Amino acid sequence: MNQSFLDYYNIAPLLATIHEAMCSVMPEWLAMTLEGIVVGVIIILMYALLAIVLIYMERKVCAAFQCRIGPNRVGGKGGLLQVFADVLKILTKEIIKLKKADRLLYNLAPYLVILASIITFSCLPWHNGAQILHMNIGIFFVLAASSIGILGILLAGWSSNSKYTLIGAVRSGAMIISYELSIGITVLTMVVMSGTMDIHGIVMSQENGWNIFKGHIPAIAAFIVYLIAGNAEANRGPFDLAEAEQELTAGYHTEYSGMHFGFFYLAEYLNLFITSGIATTLFLGGWMPFHIAGLDGFNAVMDYIPGIVWFLGKTFFVVFLLMWIRWTFPRLRIDQVLTLEWKYLMPLSLVILVVMTVCKIYGLVF
Amino acid sequence: MELIDKILKIAPNATVLDYGQRIVELAPKDFRAVAEALRSDKVAPMDYLRDIVGMDWGETLGALYYLESSKDYSQVTLKTATADRENPLLPTVCDLWKTAEIKEREVYDFYGIRFLNHPDMRRLFLREDWVGYPLRKDYDMNSNPLDLESDVNADTTEEVFLNPDGTVAEKENTVFGKDEFVVNIGPQHPSTHGVLRMRTSLDGEMVRKVDPVLGYIHRGVEKMSESLTYPQTLAMTDRLDYLSAHQSRHALCMCIEKAAGIEITERANYIRTIMDELQRIDSHLLFYSCLVMDMGGLTPFFYGFREREMILDIFEETTGGRLIQNYNVIGGVQADIHPTFQQKVKEFIKHLRAVIKDYHDIFTGNVIATTRLKGVGVLTRDQVVSLGATGGTGRASGWANDVRKHHPYALYDKVDFKEVLYNDGDCFARYMVRMDEIMESCHIIEQLIDNIPEGDYKVKTKPIIKLPEGVYSASVEASRGEFCVFIESHGDKSPYRLHYRSTGLPLVHTMDTACRGQKFADLIAIGATLDFVLPDVDR
Amino acid sequence: MNSFSRYMKGFFSGLKSLLIGMRTSMKVFLQPKVTEQYPENRHTTLHIPERHRAKLVMLHDAENHHHCIACGLCQMACPNGTIKVISEMREDEEGKKKKVLVKYEYNLGSCIFCQLCVNACPHGAIEFTNDFENAVYEKDKLLLTLNHEGSSLAKK
Repeated sequence: MNQSFLDYYNIAPLLATIHEAMCSVMPEWLAMTLEGIVVGVIIILMYALLAIVLIYMERKVCAAFQCRIGPNRVGGKGGLLQVFADVLKILTKEIIKLKKADRLLYNLAPYLVILASIITFSCLPWHNGAQILHMNIGIFFVLAASSIGILGILLAGWSSNSKYTLIGAVRSGAMIISYELSIGITVLTMVVMSGTMDIHGIVMSQENGWNIFKGHIPAIAAFIVYLIAGNAEANRGPFDLAEAEQELTAGYHTEYSGMHFGFFYLAEYLNLFITSGIATTLFLGGWMPFHIAGLDGFNAVMDYIPGIVWFLGKTFFVVFLLMWIRWTFPRLRIDQVLTLEWKYLMPLSLVILVVMTVCKIYGLVF
Repeated sequence: MELIDKILKIAPNATVLDYGQRIVELAPKDFRAVAEALRSDKVAPMDYLRDIVGMDWGETLGALYYLESSKDYSQVTLKTATADRENPLLPTVCDLWKTAEIKEREVYDFYGIRFLNHPDMRRLFLREDWVGYPLRKDYDMNSNPLDLESDVNADTTEEVFLNPDGTVAEKENTVFGKDEFVVNIGPQHPSTHGVLRMRTSLDGEMVRKVDPVLGYIHRGVEKMSESLTYPQTLAMTDRLDYLSAHQSRHALCMCIEKAAGIEITERANYIRTIMDELQRIDSHLLFYSCLVMDMGGLTPFFYGFREREMILDIFEETTGGRLIQNYNVIGGVQADIHPTFQQKVKEFIKHLRAVIKDYHDIFTGNVIATTRLKGVGVLTRDQVVSLGATGGTGRASGWANDVRKHHPYALYDKVDFKEVLYNDGDCFARYMVRMDEIMESCHIIEQLIDNIPEGDYKVKTKPIIKLPEGVYSASVEASRGEFCVFIESHGDKSPYRLHYRSTGLPLVHTMDTACRGQKFADLIAIGATLDFVLPDVDR
Repeated sequence: MNSFSRYMKGFFSGLKSLLIGMRTSMKVFLQPKVTEQYPENRHTTLHIPERHRAKLVMLHDAENHHHCIACGLCQMACPNGTIKVISEMREDEEGKKKKVLVKYEYNLGSCIFCQLCVNACPHGAIEFTNDFENAVYEKDKLLLTLNHEGSSLAKK
């Protein structure tokens, strides 16, 4: 099989060249530091940019589901600048200090949430050779890092000294910790299939076909379970009971204002993107192009599309799926959320894991 | 009139007045015995207390009790009064009819009558530090200057009771204990459907008690009406339950027409009936929207609003108003129907019948929705009758209480329609009652819309309308229950006392019964399916 | 076995209901949108019915004549004290004393659009128009004078 497409846009050699060039004019530690700073800035910029794109997308998509047009005034006909205006507004808002709040934890919480989100965000395989955090236990690291977020939510709820936020945080805690099990097991399923925990390795193992096709029934089932659990993990409807505005006004971030609230808001949208990105990596081949066996001409055309386009395209497709779900269903109640996890998803994902292992052993997956 | 004979047997001193309607006047000590006997009657127990209308007759303070039997729909009106204006005391009936718990508080709030053995004698609408009782005729309008201090709700309440030796004593009851986790829901809250405040005691996610705090949109409509002429009082009714604007105004017009002996034309009756039913569809569509939104589904919310918009356009074309239509007037309706009215209504019904499937597809059948609604907030038939929870709430628990069926008015005895009844009494039944009623209303309109007879839309009335002395009442089936108007006229051009039976007040009172032991999220769903509108509760 | 089959049945019927819901929402996703773009649609699709009550006006003809005889019935009919009719007694050419309208004050801010004034008017001098864009920045601007400058009573 023709493997050359992997090298079309591989930027790893380019990055290596840049690194060598920098080392030739300065000591290596300085080069590393500078690179670190540049990459960090790029991450944060991408993070902010993607958040804006996602918020705009959410507003337009949800409007279309609701027979509306959505933002259409700021910045021309499509309302393209609406989100920029919103961000600008939120930046200029006062950050309120609460009287009886635990000041330190109250201020720390939004940073914890955003930190977890950014670290996870950095692990995504954007492009061939453009993975920012690369380690051989990558997917395990993602699971670990994303769990920091719940700490921020619990702290926010506790430290605000409000009854609404407390209930929201406790709900969120119960829910996210439960759903991490399903996520863990479905991720494990795919690790079994790919035979590696390295995110880059998982993507590379899909060069001759995406996991969701190669793994057929168990992979598709795992994909669905992962999407549901991931949706819950991102605190989005129908699992948004932590911030159920009809019950708790805004849940754990009721008492936050200005950019502190903005952090929660950004993190929520980026978590949506991260969930989708991981789903893309595990099931839809990451940045791998779409190939149909036998159609060489078609496959060659697909190869000319850069990996980052593939990755973003697939991820936004999953994002759209999740938005579709969010804007269709009513919210679950806390006991139903837990019932769904412990009585349906958990057993199901365990069965999937067993089936996948059996399939792998007997070579039933391709 | 065997009912009256029965009363006279228990209380030989009772007088039967023919004063606009038949009223049985009782001394306070007889009243309690008569109430108990009527309530526990074997054949037709008077188990539905329609309303308690507090009154100030000058020398005496008292109340009118409107009773109805849920078995044979017979009605009786009792009157009792006390001459002690300093410390007026009447026996409570809140152990016989649960709805009296809140209605007696209303009477206490406005007239200062305290009810013996009522466990919770707090003010209902007004601030706890309010001076005087505003609906008394000798109330000084300047006694309560604008107070900007925040009103702190006490966690205790007082009860007045009678010692065995006949002396009156007071004791303190607790509303919320010191260690209870009380969450304030409202008055500014996304899902209280107005400015309702519910102090909710939670045990984790479980609701232990709900204490509604009312009065945030109290405008004193009843007090205001006492100084308005009859046509002017009409302007207030649209502003009570704004989703039953037509029906409320219909009730008041009917009551005044009945008292003044005005006969309205057939055409006006047709138009009124069609408008009432359109209003009901409007209200139920909004109910759907709000219920779905309260449960977190924002998309179907817009479906309801999309179709409701078409009704509002029809209203606006004919009446000139969308929410506040001002359409019914004494003697008919304000203006003839617009030439396009019939065609547009028919188009709308056709459209609604087509899209209602989407409503059910996206929400009714949905597994999340059904599991959240089924078996939640169950009310038994006895409970709803005792609570006076009329309308869809009552019918969902198997209480056939449709005024249109059992005390027909306008054209309801001529059209064919089904009284939608469910027996489960849970949130899902309450939801389905409304969804089915939309279809029934369409059915009623379809029977009438092509047959509107020619004729005047309004009969000429005297420029100044005065009602003969007496007590009058009229009730209609509003969008969310029985709406009654009670007028006591002393022959002037404005009413001596005008009272509205709020459809929402018993429903708000039902919250506590329905929510106990349910989850916090259920409280929102129960509130949405009970479907109250606050301007109508507070008046 | 029974409970297991119930479990599986519940699982699949639930899944089916969710898919039906998603199909419905996708159907609406693809339908044309219903948003009305006010104020851009002012001259295109915006339709304000004739009978819409937005503002009380006094009718004037081409010669700046109105029909108000300053009887004050509208003022009496108003439940809110929104209307104030200021009149004075003037002698006409024949020497008869007659009540003449000086100023017809109307407070748009306290009007509840109940139409009692229009119903009360014996000469059809006032009516409601559907001119609904009445927002102003100052409260004082809601106090309107309905009779035009220099207008007078129409001759019969």
